[in-house]
Amino acid sequence: MKLHTLALLPLLALAACKPTAQEIKIGVSAPTTGSISATGQSAKNAIALVQDEINAGGGVKVGDKQVKVRFILEDDEDKPESAATVFQKLINQDKVLAIVGSYTSKCSNAGAPIAEAAGIPVVSPWSTNPNVTKGRKFIFRACFIDPFQGRVVAQFATSKLKAKTGAVLYDVASDYNKGIAEVFRDEFTKMGGKIVGFETYNTKDTDFSGQLTKIKGSNPEVVFLPNYFNEVPLQIQQARKLGLTAVMLGGDGWDNPELVKLGGKVMDGNYFSNHYSPDIDNPIAKGFIAKYKTRFGLVPDAASALTYDSANLILKAVATAGKADSKAIRDALAATVGFQGVTGNITYGGGGDPVKGAVVIKVEDGKFVFDSAVNP
Amino acid sequence: MDTIIQQLFNAAQLGAVYALIALGYSMVYGIIRLINFAHGDIFMLGGFIGLLLTTRFGWMPFYLLLPLAMLLTALVGVAIERVAYRRLRNAQRMSVVITTLGVGIFLENLVRLTVGPETRQIPARLPSAPVVWLQQHLGAFVTWDKLLIILISLALMAILWLVVNRTLIGTAMRAVADNKDAVPLMGVNLNLVIAVTFAIGSALAAAGGIFYGQAYSIDPYMGIDLGWKAFIAAVIGGIGSIEGAVLGSFLLAGVEVITVAYLSSNLKNGIAFGLLILLLLVWPWGIMGKPTLKKV
Repeated sequence: MKLHTLALLPLLALAACKPTAQEIKIGVSAPTTGSISATGQSAKNAIALVQDEINAGGGVKVGDKQVKVRFILEDDEDKPESAATVFQKLINQDKVLAIVGSYTSKCSNAGAPIAEAAGIPVVSPWSTNPNVTKGRKFIFRACFIDPFQGRVVAQFATSKLKAKTGAVLYDVASDYNKGIAEVFRDEFTKMGGKIVGFETYNTKDTDFSGQLTKIKGSNPEVVFLPNYFNEVPLQIQQARKLGLTAVMLGGDGWDNPELVKLGGKVMDGNYFSNHYSPDIDNPIAKGFIAKYKTRFGLVPDAASALTYDSANLILKAVATAGKADSKAIRDALAATVGFQGVTGNITYGGGGDPVKGAVVIKVEDGKFVFDSAVNP
Repeated sequence: MDTIIQQLFNAAQLGAVYALIALGYSMVYGIIRLINFAHGDIFMLGGFIGLLLTTRFGWMPFYLLLPLAMLLTALVGVAIERVAYRRLRNAQRMSVVITTLGVGIFLENLVRLTVGPETRQIPARLPSAPVVWLQQHLGAFVTWDKLLIILISLALMAILWLVVNRTLIGTAMRAVADNKDAVPLMGVNLNLVIAVTFAIGSALAAAGGIFYGQAYSIDPYMGIDLGWKAFIAAVIGGIGSIEGAVLGSFLLAGVEVITVAYLSSNLKNGIAFGLLILLLLVWPWGIMGKPTLKKV
């Protein structure tokens, strides 16, 4: 008899795990380990903040009931193959209603088809490559896209810095870097500038001296490095050691405290485009920054601000839909108009890409200082 | 024209680091016919030991720090051989190769868990001002640290050459390489010779790791890619040959940098490795390697 009861135990445990109406589950796919683990950490912090905020008020309102929310965070290691596994696990095993993630475009491009096929809405906080949402009904993002970002930097270089010549060094193996580099090249040329160097490397390369020496030989006024914060400081450092003195420009991939921690003084005087600046006057952003600072002792970067917005976009869509149903949440998301977030107002005009502005940030004395705002 | 000289210095720096790693592969293979795939991770570990020493003991000058880190890494190398490889010395070749892969993965994860996965740099301990003479006479912008890294690496290689060719232990090493089974019969302590080989290889890799962390950056997984490249350089030069490892390394770095400089950075690995395959077709044993004849 004893054996019989024991055999039943796993079944009972399974029954206890079944999703109940008392809880809404939302998945998060973020790189908490791997080369950009600092971004994953930002995501984790922001998610913890959202979860505590919403549950402190009893949870999200679904129809006439208040339901608690649980975020399930999985590590995708910033590897496309892991992102695919994480999406599959969140959807099939955890039965989440929606997903926040993934972070880099290459990971989102690996996870998105799985969510699309399963009919699970996804809001990616940080993937700016256009292909992520293209042709997909269930995939949204909280950030602007690369063509816009590339245009912002090109415009800044030609009109504000009055640069006539520019060069680019980018990671050819990453969707994000490649997409934004090509847009910058085209826009910069269209605005009357001349691209004198267009050099590539592969993810995980650490020696850029060959490419940088070549760029130095063509003597550009600005060098665009649309790469991630774990590589950019090394690229600039090597450039300076090779006698390349041009102003360095970048995209939102620069935005992480690690940038100045790793680069130190060589980062000063360079610019990058970003989703938001902590200096901008926005009451929602101010509240978020204050809470984040007290809890984690850090000024939130754009990845955490966008994660916060993405999670809240989903929660608002759940409330609007009035039921715990993925399809209804997707429809509510697509109909979002004027959502007020930390990173600005978000409206979806049909597709999964929001209409929103960008800022240009200057690195000064190891700090990120707001320089100018650009609207589409 | 000024950039070609600068590019040659870039290649020399990269080649010097490749060579410091490749030597370890080549020496160990030469002596016990073992391809130690954990060697790239020993190089990584050396870099992290250097980082630890520089951040913890900021007062320590570079000429103390470098030998100390090399010594510590050498001890790790010897310990790994003692614990993981020695018992398998007479086992099937495949078992020990798998063990070296396992040790490598263990080291990567050990460093990731204890230090963290982020990319880091070893705080600069070498002067980074440009060498004025080179700038004025050749128009090449080369910093002192780059020049010193190249020179110290070459000096280490010269010392190694002297040890192998002019000392008693070096003679023992060459004898073991010649015939591992006969040498112990002559009263040579085989275990000691092998331990010394691992110690020297690990120490050189540690120097490479520290130079790499100064010139570029370090992370727990850097040993994989760089280890492969150094291994390939050793094979090109003729695995088992010290001169070959050095030659192969500078050749590989040279082809890489020249491809970037005059063809396209997109083709770097494609052209570099395509050329190396051609080279191996011409010299299957590597440039300086000796064909081994199997007696049936």
